[in-house]
Amino acid sequence: MIGESVYEVFARKKRGEPLRHIGYVDAPGDELARVYAWKTYDEEKWFEMCVVPRGAVIPVNRDDGPWGRSRRGEEGGG
Amino acid sequence: MTDSAPSPLARHILSLADTKRLLGIRYSDWILGSPSIETGIAASSMAQDEWGHARLLYSMLKRLGYDPFEVEHTRPAERYYSAPALDDPFADWADFVAATVVVDGALSVALESIAGGNFPLARSRVPKMLAEEEYHHQFGAAWFQRLGGSGGEGAARVADAARAMLPSTLAWLLPGDGLYRDLVAGGSVLPLDAVRDRCEARLGPTLAAARIRLDGIEPARAGWDEERRRGPGAPAEEAVERARGDRNRDLFVE
Repeated sequence: MIGESVYEVFARKKRGEPLRHIGYVDAPGDELARVYAWKTYDEEKWFEMCVVPRGAVIPVNRDDGPWGRSRRGEEGGG
Repeated sequence: MTDSAPSPLARHILSLADTKRLLGIRYSDWILGSPSIETGIAASSMAQDEWGHARLLYSMLKRLGYDPFEVEHTRPAERYYSAPALDDPFADWADFVAATVVVDGALSVALESIAGGNFPLARSRVPKMLAEEEYHHQFGAAWFQRLGGSGGEGAARVADAARAMLPSTLAWLLPGDGLYRDLVAGGSVLPLDAVRDRCEARLGPTLAAARIRLDGIEPARAGWDEERRRGPGAPAEEAVERARGDRNRDLFVE
């Protein structure tokens, strides 16, 4: 949909566990990204879930992955 | 229950359960065809929430002497107590969004009211429903503000849809009849003023995106059916057939 951004979804099952990347959602803004992430990835009982705009992730050692492409304005799924 | 008028508390719970059952059906119509995959998944999840909540509410009726199976599976459309705004399918996505704000929002206010009362099953079971409903609220508010703020045809449609649903839904949420006053007097639900205040707090900020003020909406009380706690009419037969599970009745195993 026009005007949507990709948000990466991170979650952990228990306090103290590291957050791990579990997927992504397309959303037009932060509020709907939160709802879509929770409703899309709610098969498991998460202790904590976060979303991060893909464009806010800064690649460190390579730029050929989805985050590098995103920073170059080539945003897409995956 | 189909042959005699229910008690005030049973009427109230049946009204909540039927409205959730119908809302789940209306949400489910948009699992396919909503604006994005994520939106369809959210619609699916919200439909499941509503059906689950409806099942829990129907089961409370057993404590009041009714057979939940009979209530769920045998009533004709004209015996449904659901909010009139859900009688017909949503015409478009704007109807879906408006219902998420207006009808789902009113349902949550009604649930808060009964959770704050003295019926033990509601006090123990409704808080989890309300926690799940918080995501419905965020979904509705974000979509309503998105459409309402777009300034184009979408803004006009979602405002029209909300305005069309509000009069009957406010009458459903705020019944001024004797049976509701009996509920308040018995401590089962909050007084009307408290419910009205919670309604303003929950719906007001979102509706403001479409320049709609709740205090400017007159509840539609014409033709009020006191037994069914709603205005005239009934849900479309096709939806009730789905609610009862008619098509797969032969496969039902108790």
